[in-house]
Amino acid sequence: MTDVKEEAIRDEGAAPEAGLVARIAAGDRSTLALIGVLVTLVLADGLIDRSFLSLSQLRNTLLVTAPLALLAGGQTLCMLTGGIDLSVAMTATAAAYVTGVQSSEGPVTAILAGLLVGVAVGLVNGLAIGIFRVNPLIMTLGMSGILTGLLTVGSQTFLGGATRMSDLVLELGGGTIVGPIPWNLVVWLLLGGALVVGLRRTGLGRMIYAIGDNRVACRLAGVRVWQVETAVYTMCALLAAVAGILIGGRSGSVDLQLAGSYLLPSVAAAVIGGTSILGGIGGYTGTILGALILAVLDTMLNLLSVDEALKQVLYGSIILVLAWVYARGTASA
Amino acid sequence: MSALSSAVRPLGPTASRLGRRHAWTAAVVVFFALLLTWNSSQTRNFGAFEIQTLLASTLALAYLAMAQAVVVIGGGIDLSVGSLLVLANCLSARFMEGTSFGGSALVAVAVLAVIAALGALTGLVISVSKIPDIIVTLATSFVWGGAALFVLRTPGGGAAPEFQTLVLGSGNAWWPALLCLLAPLLLVWAPLRRSRAGIAIYALGSSKDAAFLSGVDPLRTKVIAYAVSGLLCGLAGIATTAFTGGGSSQSTIAMNATLNSVAAIVLGGVALSGGVGGLIGPVFAVWCLYLIPNIMLGLGVDPSYGEVVKGVVVVLVVLVGGQLRLRRSRSP
Repeated sequence: MTDVKEEAIRDEGAAPEAGLVARIAAGDRSTLALIGVLVTLVLADGLIDRSFLSLSQLRNTLLVTAPLALLAGGQTLCMLTGGIDLSVAMTATAAAYVTGVQSSEGPVTAILAGLLVGVAVGLVNGLAIGIFRVNPLIMTLGMSGILTGLLTVGSQTFLGGATRMSDLVLELGGGTIVGPIPWNLVVWLLLGGALVVGLRRTGLGRMIYAIGDNRVACRLAGVRVWQVETAVYTMCALLAAVAGILIGGRSGSVDLQLAGSYLLPSVAAAVIGGTSILGGIGGYTGTILGALILAVLDTMLNLLSVDEALKQVLYGSIILVLAWVYARGTASA
Repeated sequence: MSALSSAVRPLGPTASRLGRRHAWTAAVVVFFALLLTWNSSQTRNFGAFEIQTLLASTLALAYLAMAQAVVVIGGGIDLSVGSLLVLANCLSARFMEGTSFGGSALVAVAVLAVIAALGALTGLVISVSKIPDIIVTLATSFVWGGAALFVLRTPGGGAAPEFQTLVLGSGNAWWPALLCLLAPLLLVWAPLRRSRAGIAIYALGSSKDAAFLSGVDPLRTKVIAYAVSGLLCGLAGIATTAFTGGGSSQSTIAMNATLNSVAAIVLGGVALSGGVGGLIGPVFAVWCLYLIPNIMLGLGVDPSYGEVVKGVVVVLVVLVGGQLRLRRSRSP
């Protein structure tokens, strides 16, 4: 118990001032270990298939990573406050679906409609969790069911029609700017940068860590906990909506299973990146590394043409091993 | 919690204590009775056949809710119950295909042993590694899902028809499914709950530190809780095989089953913070969740809205229940 507390204090003391480079220089072992794992995986991929180190393959990897990293970013915010959001996948799907249906109204209106879905879902989640103290797991689980039902019915009635994405969304989701840089990377860099800076430099960022560390103490210290939690779940759902629109743009059309497979990896990326599910410990830089590791791992298993069964077993084992290594690393630090 | 409250208030009137302890379960039973009455008034000649359908189609999920409840009472959460169900389903469907009744029963026992062992292993890993339950079971849910794909690549397999009838009953015979549901409750849970190990599970869920200081072995207790949970997941898988007459390793089945099991235990009065609740409430909650879409169909509403109503009901119940618990803990 004391280890966890000390770690949190150390993190909170050091994190706001230090950037990623400074932290590596200071010898943050877990970040170093994650980078080590990532480099090893990239090199292993390169050995298996030389074309992995080519620019086009780099573009493919980044294209896959960006939506996952955005979803995992929202998940990181929720986990830092000691919560979790199990509705991110359905929020992403719903946002993409609405964007697809509205694309006849013009691309900008369509994207705004999609983002609005995210904000609405996030507000409901956040208010229920912040004010009415519903357990986050249950609230977001219920929200996921509600969205599934609404979309299933809606696709036949009030949301009927083609879900062909507009050209702008297609370009954002799957297009390339120059060389290996896809457009969705730009979206991710902008939002991801805002997350990293926001968590370190802003008052809201500090409060997110503080609430995850000790909610009661925060309330007694005069923090309006419900406002912070509402903001966190709204941001999480908004990030999920952006990710959903990008995923929809890559696949071209939207069905109800669009983002379902992203739910567990979004939690896994945050966990691998060292964010504690108990709250108060972690950050977005770790999550970025976690998302990259998952994406590169996925590519490697595809390159090896491992069949789906073995792929899942390996995927699960690696999450477990990394979490275990991380738990030991923080315990001995 | 229940073990503690009787120790704290030895002089309190027994009736009110019983009422307080079982208030939630009683409320769920009343809710179920209301829903059942409503549903039966919608159907002409509501009778044994409808009851058999209800029991047979919810048997697997009822087992799974019980499996989740045991773990949550012990202060954890198991996101891999759905994958264990699918693994047990695939194992039993593959090896029961073409067997006689005796063969199917033997396979069932073997599958139960394997799945219970996997559950125990999960508990061991959680205790030894000190990683939160939710992360370990998230990871193992991938592993078991992959293993299920190994066993049964495409939907298929089968089971002896006599075995299916024994588990679920057929036509108007509703009692086999009910007996199968009661068997683990009476043979496993009832003795366990009264034993040292069972009380240790409740104690560990109530307060890990207090339990440890009172001499509860956390590792042993965790392993027992997860082994029992695994056994129930195995039963859920076999019930699925009996119900569908085959196996399927689709990952969406596992995910939906896990999410439904969490919804059911919360409706059934098991607090996610641990140490509170039993296994009867979740079973009734599963039946309630089954009846809601049926009633909506009877009302002429698109049953897809059932998911919406289920979600709203779960959230509202937790909201109201949480506020009540908060108020009760504040009042002396």
